[in-house]
Amino acid sequence: MFETGVRQLRMALSMTWGRPFDTGSLTRLVADAVATVAEFGELGLEAREVIETPFADDADRADHADRSIRRTARRLADLSPFYAELFAASGFHVGTADATTLLGLPTTTKHDLMSRPRDFLCRGSEPHLATRTTGTTGRALEIWLSRYELEVAAALGALSGVLHDELHGDDLMQVHVSSRATAAVQLASMTCRLVGARCRVLGIIAVDDALDALAGSATTMSVNASYLAELVVAAQARGLRPDDFRLRRIDCVSEILSPAVRAAAEQTFGAPVSDNFGMTEVIPVTATSCSAGHLHHDLTMGHVEVLDLRSGDPAAPGELGTLVVSPYFPYRECMPVLRYDTRDVVRPLAGPATCEQAGIPGTSAVLGKASQLVEVAPGHVVTPRELVEAVEDLPSRPWPARFHAEPEGGRVRIDLPAGAVDGMSSAGLTDHFAERGLDARVRVLDDHRAPSLRRVRSDLRELGFVAPEPVGA
Amino acid sequence: MGTPTSTTLPTFLALGVAIAGTLLTMALSVLYLRHVRMERPAIGTFNGVDVVVVFGFIVVLPLLYLVLPLTPLLVVLGLTFTSALVFGLRPVLGPAATWIVVGVVIAANIWMGRTMLGTVVGWQLFWIENDLLVVGAAVATANLYVQGGMRLRHVAWFGLVLAVYDAVFTFVWPITNTLAQRFIGWPFDPSVGFRIGIYNATIGLGDLLIYSLFVIAALKAYGPRAARGAAVISVLCGAVVPALLPLITDVFIDARTDVIVPAQAAFGPAAFLYYRWLRRTYGAERTMAGFLGRADVDRQAPTPSFALSVP
Repeated sequence: MFETGVRQLRMALSMTWGRPFDTGSLTRLVADAVATVAEFGELGLEAREVIETPFADDADRADHADRSIRRTARRLADLSPFYAELFAASGFHVGTADATTLLGLPTTTKHDLMSRPRDFLCRGSEPHLATRTTGTTGRALEIWLSRYELEVAAALGALSGVLHDELHGDDLMQVHVSSRATAAVQLASMTCRLVGARCRVLGIIAVDDALDALAGSATTMSVNASYLAELVVAAQARGLRPDDFRLRRIDCVSEILSPAVRAAAEQTFGAPVSDNFGMTEVIPVTATSCSAGHLHHDLTMGHVEVLDLRSGDPAAPGELGTLVVSPYFPYRECMPVLRYDTRDVVRPLAGPATCEQAGIPGTSAVLGKASQLVEVAPGHVVTPRELVEAVEDLPSRPWPARFHAEPEGGRVRIDLPAGAVDGMSSAGLTDHFAERGLDARVRVLDDHRAPSLRRVRSDLRELGFVAPEPVGA
Repeated sequence: MGTPTSTTLPTFLALGVAIAGTLLTMALSVLYLRHVRMERPAIGTFNGVDVVVVFGFIVVLPLLYLVLPLTPLLVVLGLTFTSALVFGLRPVLGPAATWIVVGVVIAANIWMGRTMLGTVVGWQLFWIENDLLVVGAAVATANLYVQGGMRLRHVAWFGLVLAVYDAVFTFVWPITNTLAQRFIGWPFDPSVGFRIGIYNATIGLGDLLIYSLFVIAALKAYGPRAARGAAVISVLCGAVVPALLPLITDVFIDARTDVIVPAQAAFGPAAFLYYRWLRRTYGAERTMAGFLGRADVDRQAPTPSFALSVP
């Protein structure tokens, strides 16, 4: 108990003053939390305050952001060739950097990272693990992480998992993300190790193999939305029911999770599905969804802005904007980014939130990538989420949604494979989409063209020697 | 009825005080453990390092007591008792009533210690009030540790180390004797005691604390039967044997004819062996969660009221 107090104090000082974490102390703090649960069956009251700074107060939030931005910018000016050059070119003064002056700094784009990756590596850093984006929206991007970054992210993730009762020592986590997403895989494995849980990393394998492994053993699952959709379809085809599984939670990250798939997954697997935001480039900054469907951003580890897609100014409440994320030092140190434009589109909330996470600033759920918005008329944009939700709500349950959409004469034309619209008339399809706010004309294509209509992460199949499964099966 | 001899009365007085103090503290500690839940930190459970830290305080504090002038020493003791009582009473009485009760008890102790020690009756009243204070502090502290996750294993090792410590600081470097002499006649005497005639008999707060820890840790770990065994060991080795030893040998009588017995020297080894037997017989200790899962234990912290819920 005495040691635990000292470790909590050290962690709090690092979080408050921005000094590097003692990873050994953090690791042992996770063990303390696990031991506490083992002894008492639960943590003490106010456990969550251990890792959550009091952001219900606007002034505290602004002060934390300003100090963290200044600290991060100072370090980047000293050690990051890219940012030293960018700051000088844009007249950005790190000594006065805060959330307001940051608005004058150009955002960092994926193109910047891909074209000058070496310039993002901080001098003196020790790259340890390269991790790649899945590249479903273009060429894969490589990010280097140091061992320190991984250890800090894993320890804080494990601590959060224990404090929020999301991960127990007797859990078995089954991981279905692409094996190329090495950071996500590594962090899942490290987090489980710290908590004492078991971890089964399977990747994007044949769904029947995944179900065989899942049934009766795994208690938590980390999965992409598209692969979850495939698992649901396969499980229902096999007549599997909640009693066949031991799952108590499903964590869905990346991609658009539609209410239809979510409800079916919860009904089939008998476990709640959480829809979270995470991105390789901005590790370890994440966001979690609440019961109202908002996305609440982790403001402890990073600064989050929503910028208007055209002007680059802060987006007005209710308007579309791109998420721009700046992970803070000491959470990122090796290849950090500042004002990274994720191109993930959200809407700032139009009014005060009344959900269970109302104290934490939120946005709408991610509505899709900016490049995939469909502008059917000036000022009238259809988002990928609207399309995915409408398509996945079709009676045929064509999961994951395969479609292509583009503007056509003031309407949206949606190309769908024949199997998706099986048994529906043209008028019925028009009504289906109209009921979901979409003035759409549907064009039906042959089923074999389905995989090429929309790429999803479950397409990144990892094949075996026995009964290899073709991509997009 | 004749006047008792000078050996008989102090011996039986010491025996009575030791047994009464030990039984009362153990009984209240058990009652508290079964019905009152104390607040605990969000993260953290008592472990071996905490035993070392507590032992460090036990070694250092007496040295401080000897070095400190009397007034700061009394202030330190007053703060210690206040903290212990506040921790113990707050879950039962709520914050406002707790501060009123603790304030009255502390103030009464100071007033009685300064004004009532001129007569035997005054001494007796002072001891009764001081005993309430000390027993309350022992009950609260024992529960703070055990409800914080202290295990019987920790208590057993703690007792074993204290046995060595007590013997050394009684015979080799007689700090215990000096401290006992220093506290007597002043407020916040960390002992349960009583006076008859010219004789004062006391049992130290530290002794009562370790006995209570032993009993309630045994209750938590292995249930009522184990706790009863622990209580018997505590009374026999912690109260009866130390009180009766001076009848057999005069090795415990110092130059001032004060009787100072290192009670832990008898209790520590017996407690450790009992723990080993329990461990071998019943296996691993039950956790606090397992203890709270029992039907006859109140799991939730009570709504503060003015009385303990006694079944």
